[in-house]
Amino acid sequence: MPEPIALAAGHLWGFLSALRAAGVTTALPKQADLLRVIDASPPRDLTALYWYARITLLHDVGELGAFDRVFDAWFRQGGLQDVVPPPASESDVPSPQGPGEDDPAPQDVLPGDGTRASALSTYGSRDFGPDDERRRSVMRDLEAAWPAVLPWAPSRRRRPARSGDRLDMRHIWRRAHRHDGEIVELRRRARPPRPRRLLILVDVSGSLRQHTPDLLRLAHTALRAAPARTEVFTFGTRLTRITPALSHPHLDRALRAVSGKVTDADGGTAIGAALQEFLSVPRFTALARGALVIVLSDGLERGDHEPMVRATARLSRLGHRLVWWSPLACSPTYSPVTRAMAAQLPSLDHLGGVRDLPTGLAEVRRLPAVLSGPRRAAARRRPTPRPTGVPS
Amino acid sequence: MTSVGSSVAPALLDERELAATLEREGYFADEGLCTAIHLALRLNRPLLLEGEPGVGKTEVASVLSRVVGRNLIRLQCFEGLDSGQALYEWDYPKQLLQVRVAESRGQEVGDLYREEFLLRRPLLRALESDHGAVLLIDEIDRADSEFEAFLLEFLGDFQITIPELGTVRARTPPIVVLTSNRTRELHDALKRRCLYHWIAFPEVDRERAILRAAVPGLEERAAEGLVRAVQRVRGLPLLKRPGIAESVEWARGATALAEGGSPWPVALRRALGLLIKDEEDTRLLLGHAEELFGDA
Repeated sequence: MPEPIALAAGHLWGFLSALRAAGVTTALPKQADLLRVIDASPPRDLTALYWYARITLLHDVGELGAFDRVFDAWFRQGGLQDVVPPPASESDVPSPQGPGEDDPAPQDVLPGDGTRASALSTYGSRDFGPDDERRRSVMRDLEAAWPAVLPWAPSRRRRPARSGDRLDMRHIWRRAHRHDGEIVELRRRARPPRPRRLLILVDVSGSLRQHTPDLLRLAHTALRAAPARTEVFTFGTRLTRITPALSHPHLDRALRAVSGKVTDADGGTAIGAALQEFLSVPRFTALARGALVIVLSDGLERGDHEPMVRATARLSRLGHRLVWWSPLACSPTYSPVTRAMAAQLPSLDHLGGVRDLPTGLAEVRRLPAVLSGPRRAAARRRPTPRPTGVPS
Repeated sequence: MTSVGSSVAPALLDERELAATLEREGYFADEGLCTAIHLALRLNRPLLLEGEPGVGKTEVASVLSRVVGRNLIRLQCFEGLDSGQALYEWDYPKQLLQVRVAESRGQEVGDLYREEFLLRRPLLRALESDHGAVLLIDEIDRADSEFEAFLLEFLGDFQITIPELGTVRARTPPIVVLTSNRTRELHDALKRRCLYHWIAFPEVDRERAILRAAVPGLEERAAEGLVRAVQRVRGLPLLKRPGIAESVEWARGATALAEGGSPWPVALRRALGLLIKDEEDTRLLLGHAEELFGDA
């Protein structure tokens, strides 16, 4: 009776192509695996089939939600064709509490606050204007300045070197072999320095509207200078990884790509929530571990500042150095007396003033002093806040 | 064969028999994990396990080695792990001595790239094991991505190419378990060669069974409250959610304190350091203490 078998086979192929359509990547060898196990030990029931399919086809828990939806549609509800692909999410680790996705998406209800109204899309060549050339030259200076100031750490993997702490037996032996077993010279292995990662978190909320384009240009120069070791995120009400978008060597194209990705520009600020979101994804915290972390934000947190202070403290513990650049700190009379900034100052290694590219360049040049100095020294470097400036 | 001969041919176990067998060894696996192990044995594919720390990923390999009666060979990954530490290395001092000895006796040096000069590292040992081995490649996400490239030939065909000697093939293909804590994305090429299973936190019944097996002195009612508390703790926004390992430790600690005379709820609270290992999390937890341990 070939007919039911042909039907089942057709259904299975339909399922596989529906998976592809829903964005779950299934390589051909994995599909072959599924067919092989079904053939080798036919599944007892639907649950068994589910596990067979999930274990052979899935290779990333981030795609589990989409996989479950397609499986349910094809095997539990009888072949519904209209499988909705899941929205691409930046933080694709599911919340292990349950099936509910808890991405905060307060932006969704506000119409028209997307990319069209974004400050990111309002510059292009137009905004460069008369000081185009000056800006470009500062950006060139920045690009040249970054590599010299970024920190290094000894690599974990030893390589042959002129001098080092271990003998390189392989090379010694090969050379000795050439001289009939006589050791003519010693070779050594050392741990060569390896660049540390640079993590830049850019605040794109409304309070920084006028600075956002320059802050992103600053991040772009860092990415150009050290493409392999720089990661850039933006945050306003939610967190967005913009490293791939900003990686385009051409500035305008990179910024246009970023404005397409960042949907929460010029909105409210939830620094604490965004940083917590960053820290809740293990893959992102791995980026911060041992890295030079630079936060570009005014630190004006509305509401409870406790989550922000806690997130900053954790970021500081994870990273090699935590530097906070605030446009407000450019003013000579500025002192970090808002409750949020005052509370997190002890976690910072340096609090600097950056509002545009020249101030950015000045701060980049100060980084070596920050990197060689003691940790969490921001409070010591700043003058003590005057009590008159304390807001209610 | 040695005493391991009494064990069952692993590929012949179906999921349910496998679950029962694992349970006898003290490992309580759910249907998904049993199916994953079953398929890995059946298809002879490496099994990639992901999950939060402390859900028993590593334990799978060691319990599996007991069930199928094979040696467990473990390769702990770390940043900077290279082929010399994972696959093989030539014993250079020994080769050098051989040359000197041959010279002093006036003999021919002979071939210096022989098996006797080969230092076998875990992956090669797993291939050469007579009855096959269970190979655990632990925390693969800690190794750098160059290392994954070393693994590809091994995982795809269970063979290693040593330029001086030729290709070493597995006599009996090893059972390979890889674990990852998901701190970075693994390469597609690696994932394509593996079966994949995400181990979630256990549900209430399973966790109770685990606790009862792991902590003999634990009373029924106490176990009930403890499991409920752990499940609620996992619902809080903690930096590190407690895994099974931590809840077992907690139960052990609290039981020891209770035997020393502390009332149960007090014992639970005093042993909290075994469940939560972060000062910030502890503070958050103590804020919810009443609702969490009130009925424990």
